[in-house]
Amino acid sequence: MIKMTLDMFLQHLTNGISLGSLYALIAIGYTMVYGILRLINFAHGDIFMMATYFTFFGVLFGGKWYIVFPITIILTALLGMLVEISAYRNLRDAPKISILISAIGASFLIENLAIVIFGGRPKAFPTIPLFTSVVHIRNISIQRLTFIIPVVTVILLLSLLFLINKTKTGMAMRAVSKDHETARLMGINVDRTISITFGIGSALAAVGGIMWGLKFPQIQPLMGVMPGLKCFIAAVIGGIGSISGAVIGGFILGIGEIMLVALLPSLTGYRDAFAFILLIAILLLKPTGIMGEKISEKV
Amino acid sequence: MKKRDYYLTAISLILLIGFIFYADNNMDAYMVRILNLCAIYTILGLSMNLINGFTGLFSLGHAGFMSVGAYVTAILTLSVNAKVQNFFLKPIAAPLSNVVWPFFPALLLGGALTALVGFLIGAPALRLKGDYLAIATLGFAEIIRVIFTNTQTITNGALGLKGIPAYTNLWWSFGIAIFTIVTMILLINSSYGRAFKAIREDEIAAESMGIDLFKHKVLSFTIGAFFAGIGGGLLGNLLGTIDPLMFRFTLTFNILLIIVLGGIGSITGTVISAFVVTIAQEALRFLDQSINLGFVVIPGVAGMRMVVFSILLMLVVLFYRHGLMGTNEFSWDKFLNVISMKKPLLKGGRK
Amino acid sequence: MEILRSDNITMQFGGLTAVKDFNLTLNKGEIVALIGPNGAGKTTAFNMITGVYKPTNGKIYYKGSEITHMAPYQITKLGIARTFQNIRLFKDLSVLENVLIANHLHIKSNVFEALLRLPKYKNEDRKMMRKSLELLEIVGLADEKHEKSSSLPYGKQRRLEIARALATSPELLLLDEPAAGMNPTESEDLTKFIRQIRDDFNLTIFMIEHHMQVVMGISERIYVFDYGITIAHGSPKEIQNNQRVIEAYLGVDENA
Repeated sequence: MIKMTLDMFLQHLTNGISLGSLYALIAIGYTMVYGILRLINFAHGDIFMMATYFTFFGVLFGGKWYIVFPITIILTALLGMLVEISAYRNLRDAPKISILISAIGASFLIENLAIVIFGGRPKAFPTIPLFTSVVHIRNISIQRLTFIIPVVTVILLLSLLFLINKTKTGMAMRAVSKDHETARLMGINVDRTISITFGIGSALAAVGGIMWGLKFPQIQPLMGVMPGLKCFIAAVIGGIGSISGAVIGGFILGIGEIMLVALLPSLTGYRDAFAFILLIAILLLKPTGIMGEKISEKV
Repeated sequence: MKKRDYYLTAISLILLIGFIFYADNNMDAYMVRILNLCAIYTILGLSMNLINGFTGLFSLGHAGFMSVGAYVTAILTLSVNAKVQNFFLKPIAAPLSNVVWPFFPALLLGGALTALVGFLIGAPALRLKGDYLAIATLGFAEIIRVIFTNTQTITNGALGLKGIPAYTNLWWSFGIAIFTIVTMILLINSSYGRAFKAIREDEIAAESMGIDLFKHKVLSFTIGAFFAGIGGGLLGNLLGTIDPLMFRFTLTFNILLIIVLGGIGSITGTVISAFVVTIAQEALRFLDQSINLGFVVIPGVAGMRMVVFSILLMLVVLFYRHGLMGTNEFSWDKFLNVISMKKPLLKGGRK
Repeated sequence: MEILRSDNITMQFGGLTAVKDFNLTLNKGEIVALIGPNGAGKTTAFNMITGVYKPTNGKIYYKGSEITHMAPYQITKLGIARTFQNIRLFKDLSVLENVLIANHLHIKSNVFEALLRLPKYKNEDRKMMRKSLELLEIVGLADEKHEKSSSLPYGKQRRLEIARALATSPELLLLDEPAAGMNPTESEDLTKFIRQIRDDFNLTIFMIEHHMQVVMGISERIYVFDYGITIAHGSPKEIQNNQRVIEAYLGVDENA
C-alpha cells in the first residue's frame, strides 16, 4: 500500500463521492422499476447513454445548456416510457424469463440503433465552463462539477422522496408496487402509474447522463452498459426496491471503486470486476441488501 | 424406438455423413466456415438450453464459459513458435511454453476445466433465483473476461492469441454436435432430466418430492458449462484468433436468441434455430455495409444487423413466446404425419 | 407407536405469531385431522413439519430423531410426503412424468450410469415406471397418463397430487385440504380412498380439512387451531361437544 497524504485522500474521497452520486442517480431508476414491476430494466443503462447524445446534439446545434438540459431530460423520460410501453406492457402476466429476455432485447436494440445512427466512434461531449472549470483548494484542484453533482443528487433525492411519500401520484406508485390487482380495484390507473415510474426513473438517468458526460467527456453508444450494470449492483447492495438504499449503494460502490484503485494501484485492471465481486458477496451474505425487505413466496 | 425409426435415423445419418464428405471436398472455405459455425452454435445453444430451458435457471454466463474452453484449447494447441510470436510483451509462463497437445485431448481438457469453473461459479450463484441469478452469472462472465485481460503471461491479455491451428473441421464440429444432441436426448429423458424439468416447473413442489434442488442445479449447470467449453474450444480453433473482447455479453445474447427463437426447452428447436440464426447472421451481413440513400450515406457500421436481431428477439418474446417448437420435439411419427398430411391439403387446395 | 412429535413449535413472521406452541403427536397408522378457521395457521404447521419453514421455536422429531432444521428434500427422503392446498403439480409435464419425478429421490444410479443407460439404471427406471403406473391405476388416472397435468379437471389434479406424494414411498402423508371443492358424493369417495391407501401403504395420515363430513367420518383424533393456538384436541366426539371449538369455529360454520 502506498502512503497517502491527507490532500490526496480528500481528492480521492471527493472523486468517490461525485462518482457515487452519479451511480446513485442511475440506481434509483433501477430500484423504482424493480419495486413496481419486479423487473431488471436492462435498457436503463442505454437510456442513460441516449441522454448524453441528446445533450451532445442539443449543444452541437447551438442550444444553450439551460435549454438543452431540460429538453434532454424530457426526451429521455419519454424514451423510458416508450421502452416500457413497447417492450414490457404486453408481458405483464408472462413468465419472468420472457420479460427479462424482452428487456435484454430492448437494451441491445437501443445500443445498436445508437451505433447505426450516431456511429460507433466516440464523440467529445461539450464542455460547459460553469460546470467544468477547475477550482484550487489548498493543494488540490477540483472541478466545480465534483461539488455540483452531490448537491444535485441530494436535491433530486429529497424531491423524489417527497413525491413518493406526500403526493397522490406517489401514493399510487406505492400501491401499485404492493399489488397491481388491488391497486386497479381501488381505481388506480396501473399502466399510467407504471409509465410515470419509468418516466421519473429515466429523467433521473438523464440528469446522471448529463453530469456523467461533463465529468467524463467522451461518449459512445456502449457507454451505458458498464455504468448500467454497476448501478443495478448499487441498487441491489442498497436493497432493491428502496430508494434511499439505492443512494447508499451508489455511494458505497463509487467510493469503494475509487479507493480500490487509489490504494491498490496494481488492481486497476480489475476495477470493473470489483462491482461484480461486491454483488456476489452481498447476494450471498444478505440478499435483501442493506435496506431491503424480505419477500418470501407463499406456499 | 420402432424398427422403422432406427432405419430412418440410420439413413439420415448416412445422408448427413455423405453431405459432410461432399461439403468438405467441394464447398469453398466460406461456406465450410458457415457450416462449422452452425454446428458449433448448435452445441452452444443446446448447452444453454439445458441450463435455461430444461432446468429453468436463467443464466447469462455463457460467454464466460466459452472463453475458458477457447483459451484452454488454444493455449494447449498453439505451437511453440506461435507462442513466442504471440507473447512478445511478456513471455508465456514457463510450463505452458513447451506444451503442445493434439486437438482432441486439448478440447476435452478445455471442456473439463470449463465444467470445473461452472461448478465453482454454480456453487455460490445457484443459491440465487430468477433475475438475481441472471445478473450474478453475467457478473461472473465479466469477471472471467477481466481476469483473462489481466493475466498477461497466460492469456496474453488484451492482445489475445493469434495463429491458433485451424483444427476445427466439419468432421469435428458435426461429430461433436451430434454427440451433444445424443447426450442431451439421453439426459433429458432420464430420471435426472425429469428432475431438472421438475425444478423448472415448480421449485417448491420439486423439493417437496425429495429432489435436492442445489445438487441438481449444480449438476445441470456443470454439464452445460462442459459443452459450452467444448463449443468455445471449437470456435477458437476455427477462427484462429481469440481475444477477451470476443467474449462480451453480445456473444451470450446470440445464443440466447437461438434458444428463444427455437423454443426454450426444445432440443429440436435449438438445432433448427442454431442453423437459421447462424445463416441469417451471414446472409444479413450486407446490412452492415454502407447504404446510400441518395442524400445521405449511412456508413457501414456493425450495428444494423444487430438491430434486426434485437427486434427479432423482442418480436418473438412479445408475440410468439414459445418460439418455433415450444417444448415439443422431433419424432419420425410427427415428421411422417406432416409429410403425408400435406398431400390431401394440396389436393383440397386445387378444387 | 409414536411416529412424529413436535414440542412447542412456534412460527413468527415479523410481529405476527402464526402458530404458537403446537404440540403434536402422531402414532403409526393413525388418521389425524387439523381443523380451524381460515388463517388459523394450519398450513404453516404443515410447512414447519415438512421443512419449508424453520420454526422460530420448538423441535420436531420423526421416528425419534430430530428433523427441525432439515431441508424439505431430506425430510421427504426420510418418509414424510405432502400435498399442497393450492395444487402444485408440474403443470407442463405429463401425468405420468409427474409421478415418475417423485420416484427420483430414491435413485441409486449416478448421472453417468443414467446417461449410458447401464443395466443398473435401466433396472431402476423400469421399476419406477412400473410403480408409477400402478399408482396411477390406484388413483384412477391410468387412462390420462400422457395428458398434460394442467389439462386435468380439478378433482383429478388433487388425486394426481396424492399419487405423486405416494410415489416418494412415504410412511407419513400430509394432506392439505384434499376435499376442497368436492361435492358430498366425491368427498364420500375420498374418505374411502384415504382409508384404503392408509391400509394398503401402511401410512400414517395427517390432514388439514374443512369438510366436517370428511373430518368426522375419518379421523381418529382431531386438533383444533384458532389464531395459531391449539384450542382443543381429542376424538371427533369430544371435539364436537367442546364449548371452545363450537364458539370459535363450528358454532359459526355449522349452525349458520
